[in-house]
Amino acid sequence: MQPGDPIPPWSRRGSFLTWSRYAAVNDEFALHHMDDDVARHEGFAAAFAMAPLTFSYVQNMLRTWVGDRGRVESVEIRLRSPFLRGRTLTASGVVTSVSTDGDGRHRVAADVWADDDTGARLVDGHAVILLERAHLDHR
Amino acid sequence: MGDSRSLLTDDMRACVGREFRWLTSFPIGANEIRRWAIAIHWPEEPPRRHWDDEWCAANGLGTVVAPDDFNPFAWATADPPLDRPINAMRPWPEPELGLPEPPTRANILSELTVRYGEARMRPGDVIRSTTHLAGYREREGRLGLMLYTTQEERWVNQRDEHVRTSSTTVIRYR
Repeated sequence: MQPGDPIPPWSRRGSFLTWSRYAAVNDEFALHHMDDDVARHEGFAAAFAMAPLTFSYVQNMLRTWVGDRGRVESVEIRLRSPFLRGRTLTASGVVTSVSTDGDGRHRVAADVWADDDTGARLVDGHAVILLERAHLDHR
Repeated sequence: MGDSRSLLTDDMRACVGREFRWLTSFPIGANEIRRWAIAIHWPEEPPRRHWDDEWCAANGLGTVVAPDDFNPFAWATADPPLDRPINAMRPWPEPELGLPEPPTRANILSELTVRYGEARMRPGDVIRSTTHLAGYREREGRLGLMLYTTQEERWVNQRDEHVRTSSTTVIRYR
């Protein structure tokens, strides 16, 4: 693993069927996630995904990549545009640095982002992953 | 002179730094973890570490583990209990600080930072959360003057092990 390595992309389509499942587990029923008219009243083009779910998708991209050979140490995201109903989100990233800490663990920093299928940038940010030494070369 | 459109008051500024929310979860249920994993991976199957006890035992995890973003406080908490709910728990602090809410028509989460501890959430864990108001700021945005509110939340488990510390910034506007 080295700077410039890509993180495999992770995608989901935005729909009420998806978002209602997240609403059900997180008790999150704001109407701008459920009703296009409410979202338009608030200045958006359509209903949009819950921000924590968008965050979960970035997490899923990272955890799918890392598996159980390490852990996510931190994730920092800024939401640039709403993930609108009917669009498809694709989260991805790229390794920016790899360093070794005093315990022999490797700290992998990455830029992360998510775009929709029109090319709009929905999210950008940074993440840090901790990997055990034995896993550095494991993909 | 200040901006007459400002939503910030001296009382709001004086509350920066104050803790305003304390939560204790019920013991986390294995099926809560499974349902959460299904929701965030739907329509695909979630990873086995979140639902398959036998696979977890055979692969060194012991028990199923919660997704990193799992929320143990959704729907109900041990403290406060359902018959003593937090007054209008919202993604901003004013109701719990005893302040009037700024007159805004909409809100959206704008930034989220999470730092995870070594402890992963598992069935039976009890999570405690403490939240404080980290700050306010205002800036002009596409929809007019925007109020940014940042709050920080720290979670520990029943062994006082750090689970996560998160910072969320919510934008509100008229």
